[in-house]
Amino acid sequence: MLSAIAHTALANVAMAGGGDSSHGLPAGAPFGFQVPIPPVVDEQSFALAAWMIWLPVLSAVLCGIYAALGVKSRLPAWTTVAALAGSFVIATITVSKLDFASPVVVHLFDWIDISWSSGSGSAGDQWHGLRANFALYLDGLSAYWILFVTFLGTMIAFYASEYMEEDTGVGYCRFFAGVSIFLFAMTALVLGENLVMLYLGWEGVGLASYLLIGYYYKKPAAVAAAKKAFIMNRIGDLGLALGIYLIWLEYGSLEFGVLFAALQSGSTGAGQYDGWAATLIPWCLMLGAFGKSAQFPLYVWLPDAMEGPTPVSALIHAATMVTAGIYLIARTMPFFLMNKDLGGHALEAVAWIGGLTALLAATIAMAQYDIKRVMAYSTVSQLGYMFMGLGLATSFGACYHVLTHAFFKALLFLCCGAVMHGFGGQLDLRKLGGIRRIPGWGVVCGAMLVGSLWLSGIPGTAGYFSKDEILAQAFISEGAGFRFLGWIGILTAGLTAYYTFRVWFRIFTGPTHFKPEESHAHDSHAGHAGMDGQEDHDFHPHAPGLRIKLVLTVLSLGAIWLAIGYFVGDVWGTQAWIKNAIMHSSAGTGLQLMPAGEHPTLFGFEPHTAMYFISGTFGLVGLSIAYWLHCANRKAADDLRAWLIGRRWIAWLPRAMEHKWYVDEIYIATIRFPLWIVSQALYMFDRVFVDGIGVNGTARLPKLAASLFQPLYNGKLQGYATSMAGGLALVIAWVVWVWMRGSV
Amino acid sequence: MQLWILLLIPLFTCVGVGFGGERNARAIALGGSLATLAWAVVLAMQFPHWQAEQWLYWPAPEANAFPVIPGLGIAVELGVDSVSLLLVLLNVFLMPCCVLGSWVAIKERRREFYIWLLVLSTCVMGVFVSRDVISFYTFFEASLVPGFFMLAIYGGPDRREASFKFFIYTFVGSLFMLLGLAYVAWQHAQQTGDWSFAISDLTTFAPTLSAGEQGWILLALLAGLAVKVPLFPLHTWLPLAHNQAPTAGSVNFAAVILKLGLYGMYVFVLPMVPEAVVTWAPTIAVLAVIGIVYAALICWVQTDVKKLIAYSSVSHMGFAVLGLLALNPLGLQGSVFYMLSHGFATGGLFLCIGMMYERYHTKDLREIGGLAFKMPVWSFFFIVLVFASVGLPGLNGFVSEFLCLIGTFTAVPGAQTGYPGVLGPWFAAVAATGMILGAMYLLYMTGKLCFGPLREPADHHEHEELPKDLSLREIAAVAPIAVVCLVFGIMPWPILHAVEPVAEAVLKPYPALVESHFEQMDAAAKVSLLTDTTLEGSR
Repeated sequence: MLSAIAHTALANVAMAGGGDSSHGLPAGAPFGFQVPIPPVVDEQSFALAAWMIWLPVLSAVLCGIYAALGVKSRLPAWTTVAALAGSFVIATITVSKLDFASPVVVHLFDWIDISWSSGSGSAGDQWHGLRANFALYLDGLSAYWILFVTFLGTMIAFYASEYMEEDTGVGYCRFFAGVSIFLFAMTALVLGENLVMLYLGWEGVGLASYLLIGYYYKKPAAVAAAKKAFIMNRIGDLGLALGIYLIWLEYGSLEFGVLFAALQSGSTGAGQYDGWAATLIPWCLMLGAFGKSAQFPLYVWLPDAMEGPTPVSALIHAATMVTAGIYLIARTMPFFLMNKDLGGHALEAVAWIGGLTALLAATIAMAQYDIKRVMAYSTVSQLGYMFMGLGLATSFGACYHVLTHAFFKALLFLCCGAVMHGFGGQLDLRKLGGIRRIPGWGVVCGAMLVGSLWLSGIPGTAGYFSKDEILAQAFISEGAGFRFLGWIGILTAGLTAYYTFRVWFRIFTGPTHFKPEESHAHDSHAGHAGMDGQEDHDFHPHAPGLRIKLVLTVLSLGAIWLAIGYFVGDVWGTQAWIKNAIMHSSAGTGLQLMPAGEHPTLFGFEPHTAMYFISGTFGLVGLSIAYWLHCANRKAADDLRAWLIGRRWIAWLPRAMEHKWYVDEIYIATIRFPLWIVSQALYMFDRVFVDGIGVNGTARLPKLAASLFQPLYNGKLQGYATSMAGGLALVIAWVVWVWMRGSV
Repeated sequence: MQLWILLLIPLFTCVGVGFGGERNARAIALGGSLATLAWAVVLAMQFPHWQAEQWLYWPAPEANAFPVIPGLGIAVELGVDSVSLLLVLLNVFLMPCCVLGSWVAIKERRREFYIWLLVLSTCVMGVFVSRDVISFYTFFEASLVPGFFMLAIYGGPDRREASFKFFIYTFVGSLFMLLGLAYVAWQHAQQTGDWSFAISDLTTFAPTLSAGEQGWILLALLAGLAVKVPLFPLHTWLPLAHNQAPTAGSVNFAAVILKLGLYGMYVFVLPMVPEAVVTWAPTIAVLAVIGIVYAALICWVQTDVKKLIAYSSVSHMGFAVLGLLALNPLGLQGSVFYMLSHGFATGGLFLCIGMMYERYHTKDLREIGGLAFKMPVWSFFFIVLVFASVGLPGLNGFVSEFLCLIGTFTAVPGAQTGYPGVLGPWFAAVAATGMILGAMYLLYMTGKLCFGPLREPADHHEHEELPKDLSLREIAAVAPIAVVCLVFGIMPWPILHAVEPVAEAVLKPYPALVESHFEQMDAAAKVSLLTDTTLEGSR
């Protein structure tokens, strides 16, 4: 029966994505996408919307003031929670007023607004100015995104109010100021009406990420991780920036409304550098997206970012910020579709890089011992799925997976945070076990089970539906090796189930044992650190308090609701609402997701149906293996590992996986170190050649000549001044002479 | 008259400082610099051309000309347009900050120090308000003298070498500039029969010279200006001078003196020799791009924090040069904005480093670090300024960098903007790697200085006069700069609108010139093609 319900739901989605006329998508639009109607400028009925952005700003400023005043209470936390909750409420009101068929632009204030009269008179109409103002672009996509961003922001800030309690004082203010800055930047990113405002948010979330990863700034690892995150992101930002320049060069505007209208009319750019627009713009944007959303080759910063406090990992590095890349590509999907239509391969590249990153990160996650790193690699892997979905042109699947992932991954991180918080900063899954039986941990255990089931894509969970939406599409869309890519995705689904439950079984089942982190260097536990070496014996885990449990419960219920919403989608309207929102925005492709006249099959079934069994099976197999190795018979896991390490032909595999395939080391050896050598060489060159031989050498020439006039050059300032005066006199004399000659 | 008062207030303050005694020197200097600031603000409020339709000087330079040698056409003319007024404001804004920053640091020969500082300020303002070549050049050169003495008396251990190199290097360069300007004036006299040194006369006359002459004039002008900018490979005086100078000196060098070079390019190079600019812009831009990447990489391996920031100026000014040579309004406005934002951000960074240096007497990144715990307020301002320098949107560095780069990017032949250019995407793409490198070295510096476990020099003991973290005086010095960085990051339009008419006026001849430049190149290509085919035909 389950299968029947799910099947109808899936079939509905396939139809909606299929661009048939019943959904009102214009057939045969240029480049095969459906473009929103030109935005309406409406400041009256959406005047409130601006406060979605300003409330977090206000709370950031207030937190700064609290820090300056030396507030030691929980005031910063409550201010932030109130501001973010307000933001969420306003978002809800705004979205309820919004008609997805007509995007709305709300102008806030002028930012960069330059205009000029044409220089040569031959200017195109649009190029008379560069306009990038602070304005909001409200359509289905931004509405969808802003709702879950503000909701999860509120929840996680509430959680953090308890989690960060040991730091009350300046640290507490700093933390919540950072969270507020993040929410401001994220709302600006999502709601920005033009690419420059998107870029503002893009870099702003990078700043917040930098400040919050480096929250424990006395830890060198945290500082290094923060720096790494910002710089890796900057590499992506370079791509985004170049993409923005190119878009302006080709289309003369950076405002989404104008751009989409131009693309709808079939414009492939102004023809400056023929074909550059269509070929290069998507690739530049893609680089930006891969930097922010941690895809190969720029993913290495995300696992390191786990040095930040866990609420930050949950909010920024799992649920919201890292999905900005998905948002960017969904938002600029028309450029990708133009590329596809003109025979480019940008979308296929997105799909393949996403799929391969998913596999790569999943293999690494299988062999990590730090539970937060497992979750970080899992995030990279899941983001890979989302990019795969975008590349396969099912933006609904990708965006839906963003939402489900945001819930269950935030839930998982918050559970990890609760465990870490309660057990003295311990994150090593070998040193924790059987926590289920300790009183007070039931909620965490249950919530983490929900999160793990959802992440593993066990049949019936929301993660399962959203992931299969993407996987099945691989067997439908036409593209380079997409069916093979689909199998990679299915394999990864099995690996996902394995590594997720490896963590859950290790921590929550088996004999109860625990140890606090040895060094206890963590700043958040500075209170404990004062104790002497006896703490191992005296150590008592403290179960999470009411606020943490409340947030975990709410998020679990949210995740469950998403799953139920899938089954009875038409009753509750959740899924229809989401589909409507995505399909009416710039992410909504009018592409024929089903090739015309063909009915692709998988093992003789319709792909969505087949996927239901295949990926479900893979997920259950992964779960069972995890159960066997990490719950039922833990000795088998040790034996397996010993067996692998003992065989020379295979011993490299577990080692490479534990060392993350040595990607960090490869980067250091091939990029960072050579660059450092080059820099040192250039510094040497600057001192020895440019300054030494070039400048000082030239400076010595007159001295050599002047050895004839030795008395004048005594090396004192007066001497130089005399010679300068002499030189100046000569010049003046020359001018006078010229003047005399001229006037004669 | 207004502008004369602007120049005279600091000079009169010098007299006050000289007679006011050693103890009161700093207070009098602060008062004088604040009075200058107040007067400049009054001027700015009176300035009528902030959003003018056309480019005008105020007050009209001819109206207030003060003849010196009428027969030779030498007269002192003063006047400001929006660009020079903005730069004057930058200068007078930073001056009280410099005085406050040197409050405790300068212990000996105080009077002399503040006199040099005020004279420096006067000279620099003199350059910005001069509307004739003679006084421009005089102020330009005169600014070397106070700079020299600040370096030579109050500088670090290598002050001797630094001051000599600073003086001679820039002096020799500007002699060539003088030659170039004199040649233009002479030609003007030859062809019109009247001697004139007014910039307006010379800039209208010079473009009529032949392309060959323009090339030589460009070379001569650049010899002086590129040293000041500084353009690779003429930059080596800068790391040395900035590194050795006392705090106020470094702030002034970075924030204002460097702008003299770029301002000179804006005043002389662009209007006078347009044909040569079109021909040589790619070459100069290549030097600028090399400077951006080269200096950024060098920054990354510095251990001396002042040297790091000094090299970062070389890298940053490359963006401003690129914007200027993009020859379109975006680039030009970005370039002017860059002068201001670099002045504030880098000036502020030097000020912060000075405050740290007073406490620890080291600027070696290997010896000191982790100050965020001990000096949170200092770290806050330092990080704000670092991110302004990195070019984070929302702070002023971004607007300028973005405009310079997008201007360079769109400076292509046949650009739809109506302003075809001779640079293009490749210049912008390579320069944009400076964004990554900039983040690398600035965050490397921040990570070392602010974060990590606290590291202090072994012989460190608390300063008796200074609190652990910033005092109110120091906050008063650095906070206004941070506020300005934020305000102009969010609200850049007052500056952008003020520069709009200027940009259009300066760039007026360029679209046609660039187009004919490309036509000539096409024609040349065709001719060579033609000769090739004829040759083949004859065979």
